[in-house]
Amino acid sequence: MIEFMFALAIGILFGIGVFQLLRRDLIKAAIGFAILFSAINLFFLAAGAFEGEAPPYLSNVLAGRPTSDPLVQALILTAIVVSFGSFSLVLGIVNIISQRYDTVDSNDVTQLKH
Amino acid sequence: MTDNALLLGALATPLIGAILALLSARSNRRQRGIGLAAGLIAWGFAAGLLAQVHEYGVQTYALGGWQPPYGIVLVADALGALFAFMVTTVMVAGLLYTYHCRDKCMTYPAFLPLFLLMEVGLVGAMLTGDLFTLFVSMELMVLASVSLTAISDDQFGLEAALKYILISSLGTLFLLLGIAAMYATFGTLNMAQIAQTLLTGERPFLAPAAALMLLCAFLLKSAVFPFHFWQPDFHTTAPTPVSAMLSSIVVKVGVYGIFRLVTLLFIEEAFLLERLLGVLGVIGIIFGSLGALRTYNAKRMLAYSTFAQIGFILVGIGWGGTLALVGAIVYAFNHAFIKSALLMLMGVVASYTKVKTANFAQVYGLGKKLPPLLGWLVLLGGLSLAGVPPLNGFISKLALIQGGVDNGDWVNLIIVVGAGILTLMYMIRAWQQVFQQAPLPSTAETKPAGDSLIAPFLLITICLLLGTVFAEPLVQLISETVRQMLDPQIYIAGARLGNGG
Repeated sequence: MIEFMFALAIGILFGIGVFQLLRRDLIKAAIGFAILFSAINLFFLAAGAFEGEAPPYLSNVLAGRPTSDPLVQALILTAIVVSFGSFSLVLGIVNIISQRYDTVDSNDVTQLKH
Repeated sequence: MTDNALLLGALATPLIGAILALLSARSNRRQRGIGLAAGLIAWGFAAGLLAQVHEYGVQTYALGGWQPPYGIVLVADALGALFAFMVTTVMVAGLLYTYHCRDKCMTYPAFLPLFLLMEVGLVGAMLTGDLFTLFVSMELMVLASVSLTAISDDQFGLEAALKYILISSLGTLFLLLGIAAMYATFGTLNMAQIAQTLLTGERPFLAPAAALMLLCAFLLKSAVFPFHFWQPDFHTTAPTPVSAMLSSIVVKVGVYGIFRLVTLLFIEEAFLLERLLGVLGVIGIIFGSLGALRTYNAKRMLAYSTFAQIGFILVGIGWGGTLALVGAIVYAFNHAFIKSALLMLMGVVASYTKVKTANFAQVYGLGKKLPPLLGWLVLLGGLSLAGVPPLNGFISKLALIQGGVDNGDWVNLIIVVGAGILTLMYMIRAWQQVFQQAPLPSTAETKPAGDSLIAPFLLITICLLLGTVFAEPLVQLISETVRQMLDPQIYIAGARLGNGG
């Protein structure tokens, strides 16, 4: 049951993320990017989270209990750092755009079309 | 086989350079010196690596002493070492151009650290043996190049940067999703181990979907047809040395990824992927060449031309035989030097105008006031791009056409040859408009001094050498590379799985 709920949550987050990323409002697009990244991180987690029954501590491994996969958590930590970096860069660019163009509507940020 | 420190050197030198440049942010001169030194040292490491790979086979370095498949491993096979060598060579020219560049954005303390971080991302993507590290490197490269374009002197730089980061982050997300799917099916991210599993003919449930997601992400990074629309804006508005790097080596990361997909990972499905790539390549050639023909800005023309040139490489991959792969790699290698030289030359032309611009209306007839050497270099570069001897463009066209004849695909062959004539048309027209005509009333005022010609001169000299003296060694080197690529066992055995000592 928990696995199904997890899959459903990832799917819904993914849908919201894509929808928001395609919005005209640049701030909403940036937030959609963050949501999409969380959805993919959860997908990563799902790849290794449901295998064992104990947390991957050394004591559990030595006791011979089946542990969940620790590598996905390390990968997600790295992915979170990367996503944080790109998210702040997007927000920074949107911030300067809002000052220079007096709008965050992507339909009005069209000086390149000439 | 033991750890080869050259791999770490090629990757870490630009990183250390970036940190040192950040620490000496007060002195712009010292920053530029550090950048150039780091670039040269990294080039030395990459050249040594290329020599060692061809002498002793695949070289590896297990980061932090953690042995594969548990730790992250850097792997340099013939293809990776060749591409890393190409990247570091062009990067030295870019840093040399930066050393003498007069743009305002060069004086920002963040410029050189970001430029060096872009090199870290590029070299890391070429030398890693692990899909997740590939993702991190590509993201580092994207973030650095976006920041560099956002601080460009061009007033539209910011908008182009926003456009690119939104599209590219979507591509990055799909790359990550593909990598997650790979991990869910194979339980590993080590490319050699995945290749080993795939070679047995086993096809887990998510593997084809993962392959398509990776392919889309690589196509987006290379600006191939359905994902190309950000490329002309982004490459035009970037500062000159950055746009020279973007159009020549950054797009090659995607090409490198595609090479890995079709020759190492998904060999059985390669036929299907190659057919798709061939079609996309032809579309790229036609639209890129026609777009370059009717554009209004010299730098934008070269950006469209990159779109077409990547199409040539993809058509080469699409033909798929040994000779065609040799042609594609020779093309990718030579194009990096030609295109970066041409973009730098156009940047030099633009740097002589009062309000910096490369619009044809404003640089029309400007050549009479510029150093005469500049005109000849532009002509040579244009001829090389179009594939006229004695420069290296001729060698790459010849190698590619040989692959096409070997394959017997006459329709695409005719398009490839015909597009060469289009290339000649737009390059010669640009040269004539800038250097042969009398100035018009719309021609911009000139400044007494512009950027230095050293870096593009060096690159054109390399092109000339690659087209004459080094043509045969280059083709032999790449034939050997392709021979090793077509046997994935060499890569798998070289990446020393499982002997975790």
